[in-house]
Amino acid sequence: MKSYKILPIWRIERLKGGYFVLWIEDTELAAQCRPGQFCELKAPQGIPRLFKPISVFDVIQDRVAFFIKTVGAGTNALSVMREGDLLQVIGPLGTSFPIPNNKSIVLVSGGVGYPPLAFLKKHLPSSNQVRFLHGGACADDVFPCDECFTVDGSAGIKAFVTEGFMRLIETRHVDLVLSCGPVPMLKALSAICKANGIKHFASLEAYMACGVGVCHGCAVGVGSKGDYQRVCVEGPVFDADDLNWELM
Amino acid sequence: MNRLKTRLGKLHFESPVTVASGTFGTEYFDFFDQRILGAYVSKTITYEPKAGNPPPRLYETEAGLINSIGLQNPGIDVFIKSSLPELREKLYIPLVVSFSGSSITEFCAMLEMLEISEGIDGYEVNVSCPNVENEGIAFGTDPDTVFELTQKLSAITNKELIIKLSPNVSDIATIAIAAEAGGASSLALINTLFGMAIDIETGKSRIKKGVGGYSGTGIKPVALALTYKAARAVKIPILAMGGIYTWQDALEFFYAGASMIALGTANFINPIAAAEAHHGLDVYLAQRDLRLKDIVGKVNG
Repeated sequence: MKSYKILPIWRIERLKGGYFVLWIEDTELAAQCRPGQFCELKAPQGIPRLFKPISVFDVIQDRVAFFIKTVGAGTNALSVMREGDLLQVIGPLGTSFPIPNNKSIVLVSGGVGYPPLAFLKKHLPSSNQVRFLHGGACADDVFPCDECFTVDGSAGIKAFVTEGFMRLIETRHVDLVLSCGPVPMLKALSAICKANGIKHFASLEAYMACGVGVCHGCAVGVGSKGDYQRVCVEGPVFDADDLNWELM
Repeated sequence: MNRLKTRLGKLHFESPVTVASGTFGTEYFDFFDQRILGAYVSKTITYEPKAGNPPPRLYETEAGLINSIGLQNPGIDVFIKSSLPELREKLYIPLVVSFSGSSITEFCAMLEMLEISEGIDGYEVNVSCPNVENEGIAFGTDPDTVFELTQKLSAITNKELIIKLSPNVSDIATIAIAAEAGGASSLALINTLFGMAIDIETGKSRIKKGVGGYSGTGIKPVALALTYKAARAVKIPILAMGGIYTWQDALEFFYAGASMIALGTANFINPIAAAEAHHGLDVYLAQRDLRLKDIVGKVNG
């Protein structure tokens, strides 16, 4: 069950390129978080602001980590917090990735889509064959994975991660793709998977107000009839074939 | 002694704090005891199901939120068969059902369907949502239409009939008087203002439909002024909302003439805002040995 808590920050790890990892300690939350799920986080601020939906990056014993990039007012407020500061947390929220057995799986992430897949990789049973591809704009956006790609070529292979994925499936059978990243990347990946008969689950990012299913602000198009579902409840992990990518 | 008791027309409430339609769900009862709320106001339902507006539907501004949800809801049939029994199962507090139609005939048909349904204590008639074309807003801006609609609805029900007014009018008092004359037992105000934000990198509106409904801290002075004006124009009680985040905000609205207040966008900013508002009001009144009714409409000057 989701909860609302005010918790002290246990640790903050500053990374390159405006990225940081924020750890909190809570036995109940740690026990509930599944790969793909997210929490709504908020720093105490002078002006009232919405919570920010942040994917769970890791769970170690009773500690939960969030891997965050500073991109706007909300994440900037989170970035300047210090260990011991109180953080508002609602979670865990949303759906999780499927956890299959005996499959050939490719994880594909782009930019800040990295954290949920890094967490997922830890949870996939060893009966699976797993390959983790990650892409970013430059070296600052690259994190530990099996193969990385950058748009400017400053780290890994100079290419979009989707191009790397296309090359991969020329030489390797893939049963399942699990992905998270910007919509253009996910849309391209979805088209490739569909053309090659590969099952694909994508985790979407969305602007949210409540995070718990009340406001319908984070809706995305599903199917061909102009229907919408909430990223915060029916997602963030969707069967990519169900999504109406034209409405994104 | 419960200093916070209040009433809206025919309904008596243990708390003057409630929630704005569309901003609250039973999900929040995971975070606090629902009995701090005087009532639960459901998300607005329409006759037919509504898919809602295309995304992006939200944008947070420096002082509030712009939304363009478009009344996404499953329609009145599903509401009555599915949502209503679920709500009654979960709620220990009065239920106010919010609804909106595309014509006076449709409003009346919906009310007739709700009247024969179990477990509804009152109605909030949404004639003021800015996010749907050819619906709602047209009713809320014309006093003759508000009068005719309210008169027909009041002939159908003996339950609490709250007419929710739009702020996007030139004279709120005229509309409020029309609703009262038509038989409304209370008023709710305000709904969202028209609002817009533009991404200067792309030149595109931040929300797909261009203009949306603006709520949050930025609209509080407007809501307060309209509450004050409406309260001086009518005798029926007022459920006020618009940028109320704290108990201090709430108190301003009571002084301005509201008998009950609703938190809306505040629920998104602070999921226990309603509980904190309830507690703060209780302490304020206790410290001054006052009851809520002692301050309603008692603004000086």
